[in-house]
Amino acid sequence: MVAEHTAMGDAGRVADDLARASLALARRFSAGATMWCASPEWPFHAHHVAVEFVHPVIVGKRALPAVTVPPAADMVATLRASVNPGDIVLVLADADDPRVLDTMRRGPAWGVETVWIGAGPQRPAPGAADHVIWVDTDVPLEASELFVRIYHLLWELTHVCFEHPGLLKPEPECTDEVCITCSDEGRPAEVVTVDGDEAVVRTPDGQERIDVSLIDAPAPGDLVLVHAGFAITSS
Amino acid sequence: MPETTDFLYPFIEGDETDSEELLEDLARSAQGKWRQSWKLREATLSQHEGQLQATAAAMAERFAAGGRLFTFGNGGSATDAEAVAHLYTQPPAGPAGGPASRALPARSLAEDQAVMTALGNDVGFELVFSRQLIAHGRPHDIAMGFSTSGNSDNLMRAFAEASKQGMLTVGIAGTDGGRMAAEGSPVEQCFVVRSDSVHRIQESQAALNHALWAAVQAVLPAA
Repeated sequence: MVAEHTAMGDAGRVADDLARASLALARRFSAGATMWCASPEWPFHAHHVAVEFVHPVIVGKRALPAVTVPPAADMVATLRASVNPGDIVLVLADADDPRVLDTMRRGPAWGVETVWIGAGPQRPAPGAADHVIWVDTDVPLEASELFVRIYHLLWELTHVCFEHPGLLKPEPECTDEVCITCSDEGRPAEVVTVDGDEAVVRTPDGQERIDVSLIDAPAPGDLVLVHAGFAITSS
Repeated sequence: MPETTDFLYPFIEGDETDSEELLEDLARSAQGKWRQSWKLREATLSQHEGQLQATAAAMAERFAAGGRLFTFGNGGSATDAEAVAHLYTQPPAGPAGGPASRALPARSLAEDQAVMTALGNDVGFELVFSRQLIAHGRPHDIAMGFSTSGNSDNLMRAFAEASKQGMLTVGIAGTDGGRMAAEGSPVEQCFVVRSDSVHRIQESQAALNHALWAAVQAVLPAA
């Protein structure tokens, strides 16, 4: 059974992470996002999150577009075909789940906000997702109970954010010419097709044709960094 | 959200720009609810301690006699039904060196979309679970339904059918237990999480489900 020290010890950090993730979700939903929920090992958790957002338990709250990725489906292939830039991908999984790792690293190329909920002494590497909401327990049933609390609170707090429309406006466009974020320093992209020294890649801004002669020949599905029309590294 | 915190936000009309105050308030609210959920969980488990043991003993008897567990619920409770079936059939590995848990036959009646839509479309949604029990049920089986209100019509129909067949009926309800806990209900063992919040109810129901599973494992005769 859940030890109190575990449940309450996580509460402070989890609460801060939940607050930030909720505001991000509210901003994305306000801008038209769909939330894609996946949990390869615990599909019932993904279903629960999706039904929570689509069919609110409190009458009068907005129904929000949330979908479960079918548990038997290829997660990367399904999401690649389905997500639009600005969408949300939320997963519940262990830190070493290869399907989830492969999905999350594509987030920047697809232009989606990623949320990773999980448990255990091992956390995802820094930067593995935009939001990591983690509890330390390695006891599966403790973790399962805490997950239910976490996604219930995620829903509750997201709806609180809707009461603050001023905070849900998109971030102002950056116009600073030397801004690293907006410059063409190295934008993540996913290779769609390869044609000799050129490739068509997917970025949050759409598809573009780039030069891949500076890197080893990439394959469709590979991630590359694009700078000034050239792929400069692959991962 | 029941709390009215509007007065804290003078910029509610849409020109609010600093999110730090909101983030702090959200985190505080989350911590409070987390604590509230924890307290309800503890109270729920201690109120139902004796009933958990009695129900586990009855369930273990059914399993030992070849019975199967059928779970059902609607919406979030359907996902609880799925989680419980998953737990019984694919129990987690315990601590290293400890005894392994036994896998037990269990199935969620809400999981097969072909069956659910066929029954919902052809005979009505109130019969989606009871019709499956007519097809599958045997006297040694166990019917376990989840509802936060305790009032779902399709659950009551399923419990009535299960009871008619001699199955053990277990209800995991909330609020005041509703029809599931009422006089004359076909639910033999009804657990009620006393709260008005659907979310807090489901969180404590998860704890009850886990405690009941652990108690069943503890009293099962050796394989």
